[in-house]
Amino acid sequence: MKVGILDYKACNLGSVFSALYQLGIDPIILNNPKKLSEIDRLIIPGVGAAKSCMDYLKFNSFIEPIKKFLVNKPILGICLGMQIFAKKLYENGISEGIGHIDGEVKKLDTKIKFNIGWKEVKFIKKIDKKLNIEDMSSFYYCHSYYISLKKIDYCAGMSYIDNNNEIPAIIYKDNFIGTQFHPEKSQTNGNKLLEFFFNWKKN
Amino acid sequence: MNFIRIIPSLLLSNKKLVKGKKFTNHINAGYPSSTCLALEGQKCDEIFLIDLDSYKNDKDPDFDTLNEISKNISTPITFGGGIKNIEQVKKAFKLGADKIYLSQILFRNKKIISKIKDIYGCQSIVAGINIITNDQKLYLLEDEKKNIDILDHIKSLIGCGVGEIKVTFVNNEGSENGMNIELAKKIISNTDLPIIFEGGLGNIEQIIDMIKIGANSFAIGSMITFKDYNIFKIKQHLFNKGYKVRF
Repeated sequence: MKVGILDYKACNLGSVFSALYQLGIDPIILNNPKKLSEIDRLIIPGVGAAKSCMDYLKFNSFIEPIKKFLVNKPILGICLGMQIFAKKLYENGISEGIGHIDGEVKKLDTKIKFNIGWKEVKFIKKIDKKLNIEDMSSFYYCHSYYISLKKIDYCAGMSYIDNNNEIPAIIYKDNFIGTQFHPEKSQTNGNKLLEFFFNWKKN
Repeated sequence: MNFIRIIPSLLLSNKKLVKGKKFTNHINAGYPSSTCLALEGQKCDEIFLIDLDSYKNDKDPDFDTLNEISKNISTPITFGGGIKNIEQVKKAFKLGADKIYLSQILFRNKKIISKIKDIYGCQSIVAGINIITNDQKLYLLEDEKKNIDILDHIKSLIGCGVGEIKVTFVNNEGSENGMNIELAKKIISNTDLPIIFEGGLGNIEQIIDMIKIGANSFAIGSMITFKDYNIFKIKQHLFNKGYKVRF
């Protein structure tokens, strides 16, 4: 299987590459939307700022090809790579997102402004019976913006920020899975999620 | 309740790990890649990797070792040591860093923060504060002549756009005599960013003393390098005392 990693000139590209390589995948790094036809699955990494990421995708004509890709093939969006599928993002000004998920990306308004470290995911919906991750498994987060969903229907798991605030941790819709946490940096649990993604929607 | 974060603090010099006391007398502490693999096996929560040579010389930090480590583990890596420009930051992210640690450069060029912030986001920047206490006065390792107001200093770093702060108690570093609790308390109650504390930890009780005042993230050097502790053991003891840790 050919897995592509979208390089939008930010990202923890090395980490995502290494995580996939350790799982026996030889990822293809994508800088050109034309190359999307050569891969079966796409991963869009995190570690970036919303505005410069969306500007890059627009300037390099990635938006429409990504939407087209998503009709037939699975995409995993990690952290910012997930957030850009919302309709609007508010980091460094307002940017229009890809719009696949009805929601907006806003700054955390909790006491601690950055959610950095490991948190448990409370699963509220089963994406697929093949996803074998125990409820309340922990994953690594590093963000200060979160996705606020219009409809909870697309949310498979939540995570807490503090005692009073929860955010969507895993969302999915059609061929898209997005995680607010970093599976590539979440040791065993992260690897399980990545392996699930490689086999997801495969006959 | 949040997990207590236990973060090995690893220093690189000449492609080897080293460890010293109060930032001097560094001795060999092992091979980077295999050490990190072992630390991941012990369920460390993150790894701090700081290259010492690039502080002293004007050369690039050790990207090769960063990349070699990254290929073998899936634990978050904060990379730093003598980072001077945005090109080095880009290279680090490309080769396996997940966050960037900045310390010395913040005294010469705070503008680098906004450059990183615009591309990678504030959450990717960890600012290092190396505090020296002398006669009730506070100084920074980088400028021992000028005493500072620590809260003002932190405020200005937050204003520039850093997402996390690592406070190192230089006097306590390598001493295993515990951390500066009073100072930590003052910093915690006046800061709304995640703070990692380093310098002075030698046993579990000293970690618990810090947790009691609200600290929850610790960078650990001597305790795992020179003593009979490992990450798993530290976490197990904390768990036994009723604190929340991840296995």
